[in-house]
Parts: sequence; structure tokens; C-alpha cells
Amino acid sequence: MKTRKLLQVLASLLLFMAVVPAFAHQQKTAISTILFNPRTENIEVMHRFNVHDAEHAVRHIFGKNADIIASSDTQQEFSDYVAQRFSMATQNGDAITLQSAGYEIDGQFFWVYLETGQPAKLDNLVIRHNALRDLWPSQINTINIEGKGDLQTLTFSDSVELLKVEFDHQ
Amino acid sequence: MLKRIIATSLLSIATLAAAQGAINQTKGDYEDKFRQLNESLPTPNVYRNAAGQPGHQYWQQQVNYQIKAHLDEEKHRLEASETINYKNNSPDTLKYLWLQLDQNKFRSDSLSAMSSSFGGIGARGPATKSASGDKPAQLSLDALRRQQYVADHELGYQIGEIRDASGQKLHHVIVGTNMRIDLAQPLRSGESVNFSIEYGYNIVEEDAVSARSGYEHFPDDKREGGNDIFLLAQWFPRLHAYTDYEAWTNKEFIGRGEFTLEFGDYDVQMTVPGDHIVSSTGVLQNPRQVLTSTQRQRLEEAENAEHPVFIVTAEEALENEEAGTTKEKTWKFSAKNVRDFAWASSRKFMWDAKGHKQKDADQDLVMAMSFYPKEGGELWQKYSTEAVIQTLDVYSRFAFAYPYPTAQSVNGPVGGMEYPMISFNGPRTELQDDGSRTYSQAEKRFLIGVVIHEVGHNYFPMIVNSDERQWSWMDEGLNSFLDGVAGREWDPTIPWGVEPRDVIGYMKSQSQVPIMTQSDSVLHLGPNAYTKPAVALNILRETILGRELFDFAFKEYAQRWMFKRPTPSDFFRTMEEASGVDLDWFWRGWFYSTDHVDISLDKISKLRMDTKDPDIDFDRQRQVELDKPMSLTDERNKAEGKQLWVERFPGVTDFYDENDRFTVTNKERNKYQKFLKELKPWERATFERAVKEDKNYYVLEFSNKGGLVMPILLELTFADGSKEQQYIPAEIWRRTPKAVNKLIITDTDKELVSVTVDPRWETADVDVSNNNYPRKIIPSRIEAYKRKKSTKKVSRDIMQDIKTELKSDDEDEDEDKNDD
Repeated sequence: MKTRKLLQVLASLLLFMAVVPAFAHQQKTAISTILFNPRTENIEVMHRFNVHDAEHAVRHIFGKNADIIASSDTQQEFSDYVAQRFSMATQNGDAITLQSAGYEIDGQFFWVYLETGQPAKLDNLVIRHNALRDLWPSQINTINIEGKGDLQTLTFSDSVELLKVEFDHQ
Repeated sequence: MLKRIIATSLLSIATLAAAQGAINQTKGDYEDKFRQLNESLPTPNVYRNAAGQPGHQYWQQQVNYQIKAHLDEEKHRLEASETINYKNNSPDTLKYLWLQLDQNKFRSDSLSAMSSSFGGIGARGPATKSASGDKPAQLSLDALRRQQYVADHELGYQIGEIRDASGQKLHHVIVGTNMRIDLAQPLRSGESVNFSIEYGYNIVEEDAVSARSGYEHFPDDKREGGNDIFLLAQWFPRLHAYTDYEAWTNKEFIGRGEFTLEFGDYDVQMTVPGDHIVSSTGVLQNPRQVLTSTQRQRLEEAENAEHPVFIVTAEEALENEEAGTTKEKTWKFSAKNVRDFAWASSRKFMWDAKGHKQKDADQDLVMAMSFYPKEGGELWQKYSTEAVIQTLDVYSRFAFAYPYPTAQSVNGPVGGMEYPMISFNGPRTELQDDGSRTYSQAEKRFLIGVVIHEVGHNYFPMIVNSDERQWSWMDEGLNSFLDGVAGREWDPTIPWGVEPRDVIGYMKSQSQVPIMTQSDSVLHLGPNAYTKPAVALNILRETILGRELFDFAFKEYAQRWMFKRPTPSDFFRTMEEASGVDLDWFWRGWFYSTDHVDISLDKISKLRMDTKDPDIDFDRQRQVELDKPMSLTDERNKAEGKQLWVERFPGVTDFYDENDRFTVTNKERNKYQKFLKELKPWERATFERAVKEDKNYYVLEFSNKGGLVMPILLELTFADGSKEQQYIPAEIWRRTPKAVNKLIITDTDKELVSVTVDPRWETADVDVSNNNYPRKIIPSRIEAYKRKKSTKKVSRDIMQDIKTELKSDDEDEDEDKNDD
């Protein structure tokens, strides 16, 4: 899981065709919180997607009858899809495995929840967040990391696949 | 040498100070969150005054166009000629004119193409991803398609001859998406000039390049070779705006920052295949030549109809798209006082219309119309035209009566884009295996939402003509605010967004940029140009100004700048001047900074008025002492049955065992009387009343953790179970923006037990866990979710699901895995 720069630039094709023009109601942005919850002593990951983004995404991924609002199968599939494209590890390469904690629709947002226990000591986190970015690469995923020092923000846009945060221990 | 270094560093310090502004806090860490904006706003002048109103010498140019266009369906090409009449109302003499050649954005040598980074952010179109981590770089199929398309097609304008009215050729220079035309004679103030341009271009396939217009091909239609829908926008060389605040607004079109244009009158003729239906900005001038008598009759019926009337029915559109013709027709449209012109053409269109009557308006009848192919189907029949009318109804209340004769919604390949009197909207139905077409409720919401939004853009920026290239928020933010209002009036159970809580994730992030950032440079355009300004206006309306003041000021802004060109300062100034409320702190915090709202209630102390009467006060002090918990040692000694020494030997007690240290003597009583006597009559009256009322005094200590100053909204809960709301204006922060105390006085029997800041989540406070005193445990989303699993089924494609056959018991097993 070590970050390394690839000198070789390969063109590899994505499987999905994304013909989704931009307009007010499809923002192609997701915002997530990684919360170090002192009460539960868990790391809680809460991904928030716009239903309009998810609605179009699931039809591209799972077929035209996929329905993010009405079908619990689609919700489960989308939740699994997000979980697969999100991962955390330490810089040393120790993966931090997350368990699903559920998903729900709240107003215009679809939430995906993941969690795991907090390791005894954590100096840094290397994070990958590719959800929807494999579908339409103009997707921007933002993560706020809270509950461990000052709030830190990671923005997955452009060419970024892996981002790292450092935690200060005083 | 050393001297020079010192001089240089002094200079740079001076420059830095100058950049910070003329007024500088150079001691301590006080930050004036209420500093008036005048030093940041442009100086008022005769064109834009200090009230945010057009000044007494306000001017704007006028540009009229006559265009003849020919649409070649097979070649997907447009050939046209335009005659432009440019009237110079500015006080300046112009030697040259600048025009927009937006189609050149698609050229491979455009600034847009050359400046896009690999996997660049913010592109409105197919994107790419470059290598990082352990993954190779990726090109999406879309990006490849675009690349191939651009390689295979000559894109951009081919500009032919440009001649002035006397037939003289005019020299011109093309600079990317801009063109400068050098006039034969300098154009003086008040003069006008006519010139003509021959041009043509290959229309882009919208799906291939992702644009705001283009064609969509339907290869599966029955007609040989299929059919197309053409959406024509940014389709003619258009004059750049020449303004009092920026002169020529010729900042190159990179793709994100949209347009700013001049108002003018248009006469446009478009020659298209004879079986096409054309939807266009303006009013059709030759219905007898292009419509059948039945269609004309239906249009007349539609003017007074209660429900939309079909001008072209679904059946007729289907016949059209199967047949085809080699003949052509020329449609003629005329539009007055518009800042742009767009149109659509296809043989696939069905067309419905309904007249919208406006009371006490210059334009008493507006024809609301929708054009859509069978792919739009029932979804469009039901909601498009109705949503157009609802938009006009709501927006007119907030701004001004709709001034144009038509308002149209057209379905094509563009997800959502706005032009005067016409908008392009994307939602469609799904073709099911049984041949029927259905749609989910999400798609229905999408259609209603996007139609309201795009038709709403008629007001901002088509009529209130803000500069989109510089400030996306001026049209997107204001329009998102109003589409939220209209949406809620349509159906409040649909989540319409623009709730303060929706934007907290963005506002607390480190990647937020100020709303006042030029639109091509904004990282998160959606939250920054749409959601955050819309939320800000919502807060102004519902919480800070209240509806009466806000609605008056907002309407004043819209009416002042109707058919004119406002800048941000005109908006800020008008909202303040018309509401009579100083809002500089609000604009500073929400529009010029990246602060967020996080107000914490840290502590509450209770105080009681001393009576000075020793017989009362000493007793109270004694009670305080008694209320303290007993010493653990004493308590345990007692429990063990230890007898006290003084109990065992009564002889060792004296006076002090009978009278504690709170015993009152006449010495204190005399002092009290002396104190009363020395009070002036008014002091004594005040004192005695305060003692008699014996109120509760609470000191609330707040800290501002987010930096953004906002009103403090309090909910006070009392021991008797009653609640009280209190509004502390933002100005409480003016001298100490980081922390403030507030004294709250209640009657003796109104004992405060808890206080909540912003109980209804009105202010976008990002951390509610510090909003309660005493503190409450606020569960995280996951904790809350685990407690109560939400199973909202707000939208299902019931139209499809209802066809599900009821299974008998023995079939059940196979079904378990399918949809619920």
C-alpha cells in the first residue's frame, strides 16, 4: 500500500459510459466524515452522496431498473460498491478494515456508514476514495477528518487516488 | 548590499500591508468582523450609486441582430449570416468591437483544451484521470470519444467575410474564443454601426463533447438514418458586453464561467427540414407558412385552456419521426429586449402549450410551452408546462411580472441549460421490456426541479443581467434560493435542498473557497455557487431580516436591475439600503471569507442580588455553607458512632458553639442602615425594587469557534417545563468576536434549567454538540442510525412495480431476492 509515483502513463479504458451533463441538480460531489468517536472508540466513516448523483450512478452500474430510493437491493448494492472503493491503511501498509454499519436515505442525500475500532496508536492514515470517480472522473469526493486534532480535509479530485493525513500526538 | 536587502524587505512589508487594506489592526489580535465594506466595494459613481442603484448616468450598449440560418441535418452543420446593429451608449469612443466565438472552445487549440490538466478538475465534460497510487492513468471512453470526435470533425467557427454597411471589409483578429473587429471609423458615443458576418460551424454532438448545446442522434428510430434533436445555443458570433466596471468583458471562455451579453432585438430566420418543429426564443412571425391550420387553431385554444393543449400530439410526432421529407421550411422569430437567443429543432418533437395570464402586467398573456420526443413521454406531458407556469407564478411574486410572451422547456441531450424564453432540460422516461415507458419519482422530482431552475434563470441572469463569467453565484445562487422557494410551494414533502444543515460539511472543510471567487477558479462549484449562497439568502430571509424586510429588499434589487447589469456590490448595497439593516458583517462572513458557523455555549453562571440586609444575607451565606457536601471523614466518623469530644466533655464549649460565624450583630445592622441612608432617593428606589423582585440573573458565556459571526438563537427551558426563545443579534460579537457573555434575567420562580443554541438548525452551525448547556450527548450519525433505522420509501417506480404479478405461496421462494 505504499504510495509510489508511476512514471509510466497508461491509457486504460473504463467500463462505464457516463453521459451525464452538468446541471444544478447533479453536482457530482460527495462529502464524507471520518469521525474518531470518543464515546464508541470507533472510527466512523459517514459518506454522503446526493441522491441525484446516486440515482444516475446506479443505473449506469447496475442497469436501468436500479432504483436507489425504492429498491433495498439497489441500496445494498450501492452501499457495497462504495465500501469497495473506499479504503484506509497506515503508511506502513497495515490495512484498517472497515465493517458496514448500514445505509439510509435522508432527504436529498444517500448515506453510507462504515466503522471499525480505533487502533491504540495511529500516526497517519492513507485513504483511497474512488466511489463514483471511476464512473465520472469529474466527481469530487471531499473528506473531513474529525475528532483527532484539528479538522483536516482531503479532496479527491484531479489525478488524486491516495491521500494521507498525519496526526500529531502531544 | 545589505541596505538593498533591507529596502526590499521593507517594500514587501509595505506592499503586504497595502494588500490588507487601508485600515490595519497592528496590535493585539482583534479582528473587526463588522468592518464596513465600503473600502472593499468599488467606489460609487454616476453609473452605480451608493444605494446599489443604477446611477443617474447609467448606460448600457444595445446590440440588435438579424440572422438567417440554414440547418443541414445530414451534415449536422449550420450556415448563417448575421447583420449586427451596435449602438454605443457609453461615453467612450470605440475603435474596435469584441465578439464571443464560443464554438471555438471545442477547437483543439483553444485555451480550454490547452489549459485542461490531465484529469483536470472542474471541466464540464468527459474527464480523465491521471496516474497515482498504484493505478495507471485512465482515459474514460467518453474522453476518448471526445478526442476522436474533435479529431474527426472540424470544430469551431469558420468565419467568412465581415463587412460594414457600405460593403467595406472589416479587419478582424481571432483570439481563441474572442474576435476583435476593427471599425472603419471610431464609433463615438451615441453613434451606431452596422456590419455583417458570414459564418458556419459543425454542430457538436452533445453526448460526445458535453456542451451546453449540440445535437443528439437517435439511430434506432424507424426513419432510415435515424433522427436528431438539435439544440442551438452560443450559435452566432455575439457581442461581448462593454461595461462601466470592466470595459470589454472579454475574458476568454474556458467552459465554466458562462456569459454576459447585451440586450437587443432579434429577427431570426431558420431554414430547417420541412417536417421539423422549431422552438425558439421570441415569437413566431410566420405561423401560416410553417404550421397547419389545425396547429394554429390548437395554439389559439391553448391560450385560454385549463390544461396544456397539444399543438403536435404524440401520434403526430411519431408519424413525423418515421416519415421524413426532402423539403425545407423557413421559420421566422422575433424577440424584443433579450440578451441572447437560442432555439431547438427536430421532427421528433411533440408540443404542448397553455396560456398563463398575468394580472396587472405589461405582458398579460404568456404562452408556456414544452417540446419533447417520445422519450420524454408522459413525464413531460404531465409536468413540464405546469412547472413552467408555476415558476413564473412564484418568481413574479419575488421579482417582477414575467416580461416576455413565451416561456419554453425543451427536452434534448442537455441536462439543464437556460436561455431567454427557452430552456433545455434532460430528464426522460425509461423504456421497459413490455414497450411501455415509466419513470421513478426521483426522475419526476428531477424534471420538476430542473424546469423550475432553468425557467427561473429567465429572471436571473437573463433579465437581471449579472456577469456570469465573473460571478456564478449572482445567477446560480439567487436562482437556487428561489427554486427552493418555488419547489417547496409545489410540494414541501420533496427535499429541495438549501437547508442550512446541507452546507455544513462544505463550510467546515479546509477546501472551501470564498463565494466571491471568479467562477473558473472555484473547486467545488455546486456547493460554492449554488448551495452556499442559496443557504445564505435563506438564512437572511427566515432568520436575520425576516420575510417582510427581505422580500421587500430582494424585490427592490430585482426591479432596480431588471434589463440592466448589476454587480455584486449593487446586490449587497441594495439589500442593505432597502432593508435598513447593516449587513456588511454578513456579506463579509458568508461571501468574502471561508469562516464557518460554530457558536459554543461554554458556561452558565447564576447570580443573586445581595439585599445588604445582614439578617437576610448572612442567613443565605449560612445556607450556602450548609448546602456544601458533608466532609467524608465527618460522615464516616459519625457512621462509626464516634462521639465528639465536645459531647463527651460539655465543659469545653463556650459562646462560639452556640453562635456560628454567620451570626448577625447590631454592628452589621447599623452598617446596613447607614448604607440605606446614604443612597440617593433614585438609588434607594432601584435597590429596594431589585431586592423585592429578587430576580434570577444568569450569565451565559459563548465562544465563536467557527469565526463567522451570526445571531445567537437561544431556547431557554425552565424548571416549570416552559420554554422561551430569545434572539441575540449578531452585533453582540462586534467588540469581542471570539467570545461574548450575555446576561439573562428571569423572575424568581422562572428557574433556568437548560439552554440550547440554534435549536432549529437555522444558522448552519457545524457542531451542535457544543450548543447545549448543560451538555448533551449528541450521537454521531452512525450512533443515531443504529438507534433508529430509517426506512423511508419516498419514491418508487410504482408505475413499473404495479405490473408485478401476485405470486402464489409456492412461488415465493424465488422472489425473496428481488425488489421489496
